[in-house]
Amino acid sequence: MKIAIFSESPENEEAIRIIIGCLLGKMTETARLPNLQARGWPGVKGSITAVLRHLHYSTDAEALIVVVDSDDSPVHHLSHDQPDGADLKCRLCYLRTEIARIQNQLKPKAGRAQIKVTIGLAVPAIEAWYRAGIDPQVAETAWIQGLQSRRPPYSRNDLKQAVYGTPRPSRQLEQQRGIKEAQRLAQDLNLLEKLFPIGFGSLARSVRSW
Amino acid sequence: MLCQLWAQDYNLVVMIESVQFKNFKVLRDAELPLGRFTLIVGPNGSGKSTALQALTMANWVSNYSHGRIVTAGSNELVEIIINWSGKSKTLLQWSPGSTGRMVFVDSQGVPLPINDRQRKLLQWLNGVRIYSLDPKQIAKEMPLTPQAELQPDGANLVIVLDRLRDQSLERFDSLNEALGQWIPEFDRILFETPYGGSRAFLLRTRKGHHKIPAAELSHGTLLALAMLTLAYLPDPPSMVCLEDPDRGLHPRLLRDVQDALYRLAYPENFGESRKPVQVIATTHSPYFLDLYRDHPEEVVIAEKTDLGTQFKRLSDHPHLDEILRDSHLGEIWYTGILGGVPAHT
Repeated sequence: MKIAIFSESPENEEAIRIIIGCLLGKMTETARLPNLQARGWPGVKGSITAVLRHLHYSTDAEALIVVVDSDDSPVHHLSHDQPDGADLKCRLCYLRTEIARIQNQLKPKAGRAQIKVTIGLAVPAIEAWYRAGIDPQVAETAWIQGLQSRRPPYSRNDLKQAVYGTPRPSRQLEQQRGIKEAQRLAQDLNLLEKLFPIGFGSLARSVRSW
Repeated sequence: MLCQLWAQDYNLVVMIESVQFKNFKVLRDAELPLGRFTLIVGPNGSGKSTALQALTMANWVSNYSHGRIVTAGSNELVEIIINWSGKSKTLLQWSPGSTGRMVFVDSQGVPLPINDRQRKLLQWLNGVRIYSLDPKQIAKEMPLTPQAELQPDGANLVIVLDRLRDQSLERFDSLNEALGQWIPEFDRILFETPYGGSRAFLLRTRKGHHKIPAAELSHGTLLALAMLTLAYLPDPPSMVCLEDPDRGLHPRLLRDVQDALYRLAYPENFGESRKPVQVIATTHSPYFLDLYRDHPEEVVIAEKTDLGTQFKRLSDHPHLDEILRDSHLGEIWYTGILGGVPAHT
């Protein structure tokens, strides 16, 4: 399956590819894409239209996986899935709404089915996924409760420190550690789904349904 | 236990915590806060380079006359006060009509006799280097001189690389590996002797192993190599000041530049056992600034005011998180909300 991956940082891409491959139960093939990169959430938000248009018109990609960090934004809630319940401050809702709008505007192309798009929301950052099964305190529930009480249980820099041993990891370290943790998580993705039922769970269910 | 030992050792690491300026060129009354790594952003003429220049003056204080460095239109005492991490200070003073003098004082301003500690601080100041790299100078073939160091414009790079290969082959190999990650079309730095006693360098292409002479390399490649070399030196200067390290480089390489500068400033994060280098960089690039969103304490905004330039840490900006929200730091800086932009453009 030809899958394109678009995330906040290219350093995470290989790790995401490993996890997606494991969810699909087969190796993924990189669509013939330019080397897509975004600079953080603002970059994903600002470029998603161009990326979708490019994939639709200029490639044979069958699917697009978008993974973003929630940072301090509201985390997706089941109520957001109700009709008119979308909260555009929630990055999952925002991207779903925006992607649906963009796909509606794409002109049909002969021999091309609509690209399947699914979104992963790393709460609050992908390093939290990398800590799954290692640090029992790191989980979506803990983060959401922390946001509600305005006392987050950890910061993004805390997570980086825990994963990389420094809040200032090099690109190389981010890539290497990401791949190592993804290979570990691939042994038991149910654990990741259990600890991150919203941000990872929705992505996992969607990919498995392909 | 190891952590404790490291922490004890770290406390001994010499660092400048801030520099105060009085009547020094455009810095009429300003204080520049510094950390292990500091990125200064601000408009042209806001005193970024002037502040860096001040740090190199300590050992040559008597070479500068009051009239040459005093704020235009002023005839008052010029002072540069270097505040060290150990709470002592180095005071550089120029009275009207005289050349300068340097004294060490304690936290109360009481002059200290020159002892081993002060001698070490002087030696440290002697190791402050400001680089404004010039690709043409970086590419120059040079006569072999054993002790030659990288010049402010990047000249002597070939000598420094040659010495690195001869004296620290492991580091030289790591540098080659890093170069291949930055610029994948090359895989090795090679040397040649164009004429007796001189040295030139070439880069070998990964495909075909073609040798490209330094003079034929792109400006960006030369600038990247000079910065990388600094980061891989076994004995780098005590302080490295880099003017516009983003210049001439593709924005996607800026994350690598950040890594190189962090390798100097936080060597322990890269498996290095040498002392940290205090690093100051200046930039006008919103792309480069974006990379420091998670570390606003490392960013200083230089702002021109009616009273002269003021320096402020970005982390001291009230409501920074609320202002940034879903935006790039560089974009928000460009709008002028955070200060540090030209007044009338």
